[in-house]
Amino acid sequence: MLTCDTYLSPGSLNEALAAAAASAGQFRFVAGATDLLPWAREGRAGDVHVPLMIDIAGVPELKSVKVQGDRLWLGAATPFQRFLDRAELIEMAPGMPDCAIWFADNQIRESATIGGNVINASPAADSIPPLLAANAIVELAVLRDGGIRRRRMPLSEFLKGPGLTAAEHGEILLGVECDALPDHGGAFEKVGHRRSLVISVVCLSALVRMDASCRSFQDVRLAIGGVGPMARRMTAVEEWLKGRTVSAELLRSVMAMCDEFIQSRTRQEYRKQVAPGFLMRALAKAMKRAGASETACAIAEEVVSG
Amino acid sequence: MADLLAIEATVNGRRVKKNIDPSQRALDFLRDDLNMTGTKEGCGAGECGTCSIFVDGTLVKSCLLPVAKLKGKTVDTVEGLARSGEMSAVQKAFHKAGASQCGYCIPGMVMAATAALRLNPDADRDEIKERLGGNICRCTGYQKIFDAVEMARDFLNGKLSAATFDDLDQEDGKYIGVNIRRIDAPSKVTGALRYAGDMVLPGMLHVQVLRSPHPHARIVSIDTTGAEAILGVEGIVTCADVPGQDGFGVFVTDQPIMARDKVRYVGEAIAAVAAETLAAAREAVKKIKVEYELLPAVFDPEEALAAGAPVLHGYAPDNLVKHIPICNGDVEEGFAKSDLIVEQTYETQQVEHAYLETEAGVAYVDHDGIVTVHSPSQNVTHHRHMLSRILNLPINKVRMIMSPVGGGFGGKEDMIYQGMLALLAMKTRRPVKLVFTREESIATTAKRHPSRTTYKMGLTKDGRILASRISIVYDGGAYGMSTEGVVRKGVILGGGPYNVPNFRIDGYGVYTNNTPSGAFRSFGSLQSQFATETHLDICAERLGMDPFELRLKNAMHTGDRTHTKQVLNSCSMERVLTAARDASHWEAGVPSIRGDKRSDLGGEGTRRPCTVTPREPVTAEAEPLKQRGAA
Repeated sequence: MLTCDTYLSPGSLNEALAAAAASAGQFRFVAGATDLLPWAREGRAGDVHVPLMIDIAGVPELKSVKVQGDRLWLGAATPFQRFLDRAELIEMAPGMPDCAIWFADNQIRESATIGGNVINASPAADSIPPLLAANAIVELAVLRDGGIRRRRMPLSEFLKGPGLTAAEHGEILLGVECDALPDHGGAFEKVGHRRSLVISVVCLSALVRMDASCRSFQDVRLAIGGVGPMARRMTAVEEWLKGRTVSAELLRSVMAMCDEFIQSRTRQEYRKQVAPGFLMRALAKAMKRAGASETACAIAEEVVSG
Repeated sequence: MADLLAIEATVNGRRVKKNIDPSQRALDFLRDDLNMTGTKEGCGAGECGTCSIFVDGTLVKSCLLPVAKLKGKTVDTVEGLARSGEMSAVQKAFHKAGASQCGYCIPGMVMAATAALRLNPDADRDEIKERLGGNICRCTGYQKIFDAVEMARDFLNGKLSAATFDDLDQEDGKYIGVNIRRIDAPSKVTGALRYAGDMVLPGMLHVQVLRSPHPHARIVSIDTTGAEAILGVEGIVTCADVPGQDGFGVFVTDQPIMARDKVRYVGEAIAAVAAETLAAAREAVKKIKVEYELLPAVFDPEEALAAGAPVLHGYAPDNLVKHIPICNGDVEEGFAKSDLIVEQTYETQQVEHAYLETEAGVAYVDHDGIVTVHSPSQNVTHHRHMLSRILNLPINKVRMIMSPVGGGFGGKEDMIYQGMLALLAMKTRRPVKLVFTREESIATTAKRHPSRTTYKMGLTKDGRILASRISIVYDGGAYGMSTEGVVRKGVILGGGPYNVPNFRIDGYGVYTNNTPSGAFRSFGSLQSQFATETHLDICAERLGMDPFELRLKNAMHTGDRTHTKQVLNSCSMERVLTAARDASHWEAGVPSIRGDKRSDLGGEGTRRPCTVTPREPVTAEAEPLKQRGAA
């Protein structure tokens, strides 16, 4: 059970930061609350009392979504369902719709925010692989010496371990900026114990852009989660594929490269079996969505079906 | 003390304004402050969907929503769907399709179905499934629910007439072979039905329970002074408050209302607190000091049966709840004549019932001094008799009222908390209410018996069973509960519907320091029949025989006598088996040598196997949210 003495819903960033600064550290920021409330239950944190809850989901800066040049700004309070029903996001963040459909369920997706998923830093967080693949950076704000201090850092540096980030207490994650990728195809593969409301045992995100021939990879971004303390980009695989023409041999050659990413404490063998299949399936889907030629798609399909 | 939060919102078309505790969730606000209990709590963690509500037209889970987020919003609950007095199309369709059983998940299902059809009035079955993915049902089975949503969709799209809902299926005076509508369905699809946890009585106190963290320990002392000092605490009970002869159970009354002298499993109740608020009761539970002396514990039933094992109950130094042997013929002689002997060991695991309604109850002492308990008990009369003895009250001073059962499956047969409620009502002279959290329900209540079956079967070359020797050990956990009956059913039905001339089965129910095992659908026979049927498949493989053929060769027929000496005056085994074989287009042959491309998979009349398949976004790459029609 989560209890508090005061629940504030500030209407501006200034107000939110000032409330936090005035509370002598006795506060917690809350946005979607979909992780926070289940956390304060038996078997996890148990009964938790937080003197001050500061609800930042209504802060305008955290709600904005915009494209600036080749970068996409996602306010931290953007709910996951928007990646499924907002045309602009579907176009600019092609790695997200498949991720969103696997995320929790359609009701929780209306509350749960992208910022919450990032800052809770679960090793199995669904949004982190597609964000890493889109070269995401995070922006943080805190009240220091009477003014707002803002800083930015790559998401890969922001994540420090399971449940750990570089954020200081009192710092608000304002949002995530990532590459706008209208010409990429995206895919996301995930497996857990059931379909809805399930924690990833393995999740994998792929973003692919084909070259003018539609038969060779111009750009490939891959990231895998749920298989170690933090999600990671699969850089070696990306480099191997980039610039090469799609062939069954090429695709099969990267399947063996998944093993090194599996660094989980449990079920390593299962994950090692799943990951190469996910890599192939995600590549095949992303290629197709990126407009790969029929021949290239057929080759990928053939590799997928073994 | 919390700074009260002013909440002004429009709920089901009415403006409401309340100053409330900011710790509340939207769910608490609706249920406790507005007394709208159609919105249920099944898990409190966003997993089950019994609490789904619309906020500004968007479906969300109210157990994950801090109440402050309702400020200035428009909220619609299941009660709002039928506000005019007439059920909505979705509700009518659920009624018509028979899509409600225990009914506890149904308000949430109705809300999710309504949301699905509002978002896409043409949603096909796959999309409906996807959109109802956050809602769990435990008894209806999803097919009728999906049927209902499709029926509502077709009605709203003008493809079905309103008469679809109104037509009665039954013919005059006929009840068998026709579809009869549930008379309680309207109360379930509208959320009007009140389960025990929905009941509110004036002056009602909230109960919380202190539970054992140890599997086996002697209780040296219990100190409740710190808990009693908390403002709002009105009463605390332990086993010392039991006025009569303590002990309940279906076959052996070995379980005290609260732990007496020692605890025997993790989660066993030790003390119960009744307080003005749930928070005060929870705080008080943490302030009760219990001194334990840890005892060695045993978690495996076979280890519990071995000499020198820790003993749970003084009356059963061998840790045996019950041994039931049934013997027929001479198994050794049967084995000697057999061409093939197959031996194997089978295990089944503990299973949770997972009814959507957790255990809950309300108790009070009425004006005539009658101790009254409302609970979703599956065994009220037996509970009443036990409670009368435990409370040392004449039977006419104890009343058990069965509240609607939000799923039971056997899990609500045992009187695990009603006694505590009765004692607290007597001690405080006020109504008391206890609602288990989902975690508490899973951790502390009875489960399906884990089992280990050792099987030896002798057969002739042509597949006739000559002898079976079966030994099945059931882990009964810390208390007897229904174990004896489970063992009995297991040995009666365990051999399956087969003629076995030489047969011996031994069933053992054993005490361990695991969570008690109790009644659960199939009541012991699942475990032994799983062993028998699996064993027959292995035998078929070893004999090079089709598994249907092996079973038909040994099947019982009308006039045959079972190993319990029951002569069957009607036996449909052969009919059932051949019907199943034919309907499934079974490809005859030995299991081990049949081809990898079986012709009987995925054919007409068969279902695809259960798989977790890749999924596609149902709204991506389509136009933004469709908002037409009204479900």
